[in-house]
Amino acid sequence: MLEGNERVCVQGITGKYGKFHTKKMKDYGTNIVCGVSPNKTVSEVHGVKVYSDMQSAVNETGADTTILFVPAKFVLNATMDAINSGIKKIIIISEHVPQLDSLKIIKKMSEINHNHHNDKITIIGPNCPGIMIPDVIKVGIMPESAFKSGDIAIISRSGTLMYEVAKHLSTRSTGVKIAMGLGGDPIIGTNIAEAMDYVIEKNIRKVAIIGEVGGNDEISGIKKALAMNYNGNIQTFFAGRTAPKGKTMGHAGAIIKGFEETIEHKEQVLNEMGIRTIKKIDDLFIRV
Amino acid sequence: MKIQEYLAKGILGSYGITVPSSKFFSSYSGSDSPFLPCVLKSQVLIGSRMKNGGILFADNQEEFKSKMSILINKPIKGTKPEGILVEKKLEIKQEYYCSIFINRLERDIFLSFSECGGINIEENTDSLKTGKYEDMVDYISEKYNQDFVKIVKSLKKIMEKEDATYIEINPIALTVESKLVALDCVMDLDENAYFRNGHLKNYMNLSDQKEQFHYVKLDGDIGIIGCGAGIVMATMDAISMKGGKPADFLDIGGGAEKDITLNALKMLYDSGIKRIVMNIFGGITNCDEIAKAVIEFKNENIDASIFIRLAGNNSEIAKRMLENAGIKTYEYMYEMVNSCMEEVKCNA
Repeated sequence: MLEGNERVCVQGITGKYGKFHTKKMKDYGTNIVCGVSPNKTVSEVHGVKVYSDMQSAVNETGADTTILFVPAKFVLNATMDAINSGIKKIIIISEHVPQLDSLKIIKKMSEINHNHHNDKITIIGPNCPGIMIPDVIKVGIMPESAFKSGDIAIISRSGTLMYEVAKHLSTRSTGVKIAMGLGGDPIIGTNIAEAMDYVIEKNIRKVAIIGEVGGNDEISGIKKALAMNYNGNIQTFFAGRTAPKGKTMGHAGAIIKGFEETIEHKEQVLNEMGIRTIKKIDDLFIRV
Repeated sequence: MKIQEYLAKGILGSYGITVPSSKFFSSYSGSDSPFLPCVLKSQVLIGSRMKNGGILFADNQEEFKSKMSILINKPIKGTKPEGILVEKKLEIKQEYYCSIFINRLERDIFLSFSECGGINIEENTDSLKTGKYEDMVDYISEKYNQDFVKIVKSLKKIMEKEDATYIEINPIALTVESKLVALDCVMDLDENAYFRNGHLKNYMNLSDQKEQFHYVKLDGDIGIIGCGAGIVMATMDAISMKGGKPADFLDIGGGAEKDITLNALKMLYDSGIKRIVMNIFGGITNCDEIAKAVIEFKNENIDASIFIRLAGNNSEIAKRMLENAGIKTYEYMYEMVNSCMEEVKCNA
């Protein structure tokens, strides 16, 4: 997860979104040290040098983090290039990545992490808005004006909903310590349990978890944090209580396959665990 | 994306898994059945077809003709079939269950297997064994006939080569000739893999390719449009909590421009929705693009009632544009939802 002093590479920097967000991240203060693109006709984007391959970019600039804007069909190879070049933090913004490719990426990550306990790779996404520490660093695509610095961690599977919650917490509560947009796909590199590891490590006392219908990541993540004796204030907000069963609601991951994936069930289990489940964004972290 | 049984069985067959002799009818004009006795299976993407009258049996040609004429046009749970799959009826000794899928939590390929397959598998969960693919292959090869191992390995291959995310064979029938045959098959293919997968292109509807936004029709009367799946779902929920009924889930996505927004509004209006709630948080989207669409739409459809909330990129410009056109805007989602529901109650 981010510390704030990352040296960031942008893969897919010459594309429309890559270019646009390179500027936005740079303006926010993120240390963008290089870009990578197979487009050999462009050597610089917004003052950032563009390399044709990951290895030379890393060798020459010391990048330790990368953000991917490459088209879905190139994500597998681009991520493998990043891993092989020694990059440790990989944030995949691209959506529509085939699930089998995501599985291959995660398998590779697990193999490496199994052998290098002290030098682990972190992958965020695919299909995510990225990570932001307000006033410090933004490696993502979120609208920065919605995020004011504070003490609440946001962990979210949804992008726009994360912005909505951030705006609420920034204007009507105590602000955002870190926003972690994990992604809306069924298979993601960092799940809620792993995001909670960071919260525990940094001793962040308030966490807003933004969930959706489908899967069971929220429950297993919170369960694990409680088992590690985390006693901070966790509040959840779920979207999709009116979603019909068996239909994909925009996000590939937002589909109810059985009762245990409904919000009704998730909230019931969480309440039994003593977690506050909030039904209106406006009520998250408001003093009662 | 779920594909029809006859297509799924075609894939199973090409990977060496035995399926019954069959013929697919997209229409029917009174011909004889190529097999007797036979099974007539309505090709609809709906669970429990047997319980909903989508599967019939025929012992002779007369029976085949009359049942075929009925089934070919009969909607199952409101869905018209793509055609009828006619299969040779087999004599069965035992039914097994098998499925392979991607486990989201474990982020790995998993397999389920049971020797009590068939239509009551959901009530027979005690017999169902589930685990990591590799562990399950070991388990099956220790306990069962090697033909099962072959099937399971073929399923894994289909997953990898065809970008399937879920395959269920229920039942795998053990016939009186001691052959294992896949009697039914549910298969989900990953549409994100269309760029490398020939099959997928054939199975995708043209309408799927043209789709500009994610749309799911629901049975209520209040239209919902937003940018981002999460925010659209949250808006649907807010409407429901106030006693309203959402007519749809419609996500115009990040970076939506005027034309897409206008198409979304028109589509809802043309389907009879006169009251539409729009929740726009412009992260990538520019709110003024949305405003342009709303103004044009309102000019053409004066009887439509729009409740719009705007925040993010260029939202101040967009609000001014809308208010100059006489359209009220909202700063917060719940404030907008409340106004909408007050209007609903006043008109009730």
